[in-house]
Amino acid sequence: MKIAELYVDAQLADWPQTDAACRQFGMSARTVQSAHEVYAAVAASPDPIERGKHVLYLTRNKGAFIKSCPGTRHYTCCGYKILHIGTFCSMDCSYCILQAYFHPPVLQYFLNHDQMESELEQLFASGAIHRLGTGEFTDSLIWEPWTGLSAGLVRRFAGQDRCVLELKTKTTFSEALLDLPHRRRTILSWSLNTERVIGAEERGTAALDARLRAAARAAGRGYPLAFHFDPIVIDEGCATEYCRAVERLFAAVDSRHVVWISLGALRFMPELKAVVQRRFEHSRILHGEFIDGLDGKMRYFKPLRMKVYRGIVDAIRAHAPEVCVYLCMEDDEAWRHALGFTPAERGGLARMLDEAAAGRCGLDRPEDALS
Amino acid sequence: MASERALPDAEASRSIPLAEIDRRDERFRISTRRDSDDLKPSIRRFGLLTRPLVVPAESAFIIVSGFRRIGACADLGWNQIPPRVLRADVSAYECALRAVAENSLTRPLNLIESARALNLLERKAPGGRIAEEDAAALGLPTHAGMISQLKRLCHLPAAIQDAVLDGALSFAMACDLGRMEADLGSAFARLFLRLKPSLNKQREIVALVAEIAAREGVDPRQVLMDACPADGAGRPDEDGNRQTQHLRSRLRERRFPALAAAEKNFLRLRQRLELGEAIQLTPPRDFEGTRFALTLNFQTIEDVARLRDRLDRLIGHPDFRTLITGKARGFEGDPGT
Repeated sequence: MKIAELYVDAQLADWPQTDAACRQFGMSARTVQSAHEVYAAVAASPDPIERGKHVLYLTRNKGAFIKSCPGTRHYTCCGYKILHIGTFCSMDCSYCILQAYFHPPVLQYFLNHDQMESELEQLFASGAIHRLGTGEFTDSLIWEPWTGLSAGLVRRFAGQDRCVLELKTKTTFSEALLDLPHRRRTILSWSLNTERVIGAEERGTAALDARLRAAARAAGRGYPLAFHFDPIVIDEGCATEYCRAVERLFAAVDSRHVVWISLGALRFMPELKAVVQRRFEHSRILHGEFIDGLDGKMRYFKPLRMKVYRGIVDAIRAHAPEVCVYLCMEDDEAWRHALGFTPAERGGLARMLDEAAAGRCGLDRPEDALS
Repeated sequence: MASERALPDAEASRSIPLAEIDRRDERFRISTRRDSDDLKPSIRRFGLLTRPLVVPAESAFIIVSGFRRIGACADLGWNQIPPRVLRADVSAYECALRAVAENSLTRPLNLIESARALNLLERKAPGGRIAEEDAAALGLPTHAGMISQLKRLCHLPAAIQDAVLDGALSFAMACDLGRMEADLGSAFARLFLRLKPSLNKQREIVALVAEIAAREGVDPRQVLMDACPADGAGRPDEDGNRQTQHLRSRLRERRFPALAAAEKNFLRLRQRLELGEAIQLTPPRDFEGTRFALTLNFQTIEDVARLRDRLDRLIGHPDFRTLITGKARGFEGDPGT
């Protein structure tokens, strides 16, 4: 992460974490009274999105650290909980929804970890199985080289038996976590794509082989793994390429380490289209057959999605019939066609994933929930 | 121009031989209309009620305002006309202000004329900058961004300007077409001039052509030509609306081949059900959702009984089953499987 400008919320200016960040980046932080000063500086750039990847704002999370994934009523959500540690990403994927989600997007890192700790404490005490992840509004591991936050979370989750943390990334910064006493309460997960999509659409991310090597090393240290083929970009030849990526995955990783694999075809808020056209002139992701989804997002024409899902699921099952495979934000029709069943037939998607987490990560199963 | 003062009283009236007016010099011309047929009857009957304005130049008088009136006099065979004549020392900018004012203050300027007026004033203004007060007094836009876009209009290809003048192209669309390569922008302009689609449909057509070209790696001009073989060709007997509808349909089929094929298959199967006018079967929009809609139209109890019988037959119809269950394969394959 190359930071060009560092800002700090005035209320946090004398916090030790602020000093640590300044030392790490070799620069002093400019103190601001309000986030608007940072936004204004970023918005003044000819490409605010690009600029926002090099401007870091150290601040407090003024809302909740733990949030439920919003989902929509039209498509099945996995019931994941977001651990909101910061926003935006230093990598530059053409399809990244964060480009259109924050106005303007800027790297924010929250320093009020006392509050996060308190929320985690409450969650751990609830007695139910929960799956949490830090990779919703940012990449989980881009912060690791200078914050050590994920390392702290791995240790923290290792001390309880009901919740599992998923760290989702396109980096290889998992190396720093390998020697930690994780007790399998942390799932290291990678977003995967075809080499062609990674090369063309995912600027600054690790190559497919590098991600798989990192995953294999993590498996070697006993970490449970997860993989997300998301977003699946549908175009000519994609089916073969995704199947090849599946083959490479299982050539690198033993399926017994895999907790789950998700599939999700590219979908995006309509506002993203203009951003991609402006920032990624040669991107081909917008050339697909998109229709207006029921949730207001642009989605590939459903039969195309279902066909590609089915092909990838078949490839996964050929290598790992026992691994939990699920569709991210799809309806029962897509599930039935791709997987042969609906989530409801297995007690719901959340329960399927809780079961998978319990089985692979050794979580305690609450009698009432999973009996 | 000092915006606080009026234009100088710098003109006199006198009779001038038409031969001494250089009618080819159009440096002050604003009007897009060139013919003067509509002026001739009144000039013939009443004479020049509103006299043109000219200014002496090196070897002849040049026209500041009244190009069409002078043209009409020439066509009527006049040898002399009585214009207002500006003094030779009146600045080029003042001449430009008068040229614009005599048009813009007597009738609304069209977009091209506004563009010409702004360009003319800017060319002649001291320092190349039009005083905001001058633009406002002349009824021209004063917003810098608007001025900048508007000025570009009169540098766009003639086909785009023609379509703007005709009202077939909006200012916004003209600007969009102006950003394209000249022949592509002109091809769109000629098409829109001919078919007169609404702005939304123009935008849809432009977007579809661009997306097909990008998706297939072909030249957008080729896409346009494929969809619309040549200006006036294809279905010349159809009106613009029908031609526009066909064009959009062809483009959409090429841009969304799987969706278009599924729609076609759905319609074919639905037709085979012979539902008649009393039953309507509507699929989910873009086949994304899972709910189909059946609408029944009836007036009497007997109608309902007949509909019930038809619905019973419909449920057993293999094509109906394919319609309800065949979405994943785009409604292709064996009925009922």
